Amino acid sequence: MDLSYEVKDSYAEITAAGRLNMVSAPKLREMVADVVAAGTSRIVINLEETAFMDSSGLGALIGCLKAARQAGGDLRIAAVQPQVQMVLGLTSMDKVLTSYPSAAEAFGDD
Amino acid sequence: MTEVLARRTLRQAALPEAIEAVHTELDGLWDDASFVPDMDRMTFATAVIEAASNVVQHAVPESRDPVELGVDISVTPIRLEARVSAFGAARPDPIDTDPAMPDGEAESGRGLALIRALVTTVTFKRQDGTNTWILSRSPLHD
Repeated sequence: MDLSYEVKDSYAEITAAGRLNMVSAPKLREMVADVVAAGTSRIVINLEETAFMDSSGLGALIGCLKAARQAGGDLRIAAVQPQVQMVLGLTSMDKVLTSYPSAAEAFGDD
Repeated sequence: MTEVLARRTLRQAALPEAIEAVHTELDGLWDDASFVPDMDRMTFATAVIEAASNVVQHAVPESRDPVELGVDISVTPIRLEARVSAFGAARPDPIDTDPAMPDGEAESGRGLALIRALVTTVTFKRQDGTNTWILSRSPLHD
């Protein structure tokens, strides 16, 4: 998985391309921790190019959500693809992780 | 016995890198069995990766030799089957084969519940120092 981030005006966008599984999940946690430590706690994870996520990846997203909220911000997900949507739905985590059509819309209204 | 139309097998050290190898075998399997509908591919592949990840994360060696992950996936016209094995692993603690899905902000514990939701049958057997999860999905949907 290729992970990168970009700090925008009012939030940071992390792009996750590839498979979010037990190999890449710890790297995502590290990146979010780095972004929060650098002072940005409003984070959107762009999942447009995330073709696959397993329960390890889901656990990482939940951990990252907690980290962002503990720092006074929030973590949102964007451009969710079918397999990721399926995992979110089967685990009912689609009610916990708020999904937006695009990264730009995730923090667009606040 | 129903004809096996495509098959992939893998056996290697139960390390995180093995998960990427399982993904590669699944991709190759779908190339060989292009008739399998997208929904079946997506659900079955997710279950297989969950089971393989479970071996890598939780299998405990029975001796001084490290655990090896084995994956044997076969496709027939009406059934997908995966045998996901932990070779050289100790007998696991009693397994709740039908666990509830954790809710709220739990960061782990969803793997087996997810597998149950994704496939038709899940069975476990232990034989000759090997723990094997057998996952099947059938029938294939259009």
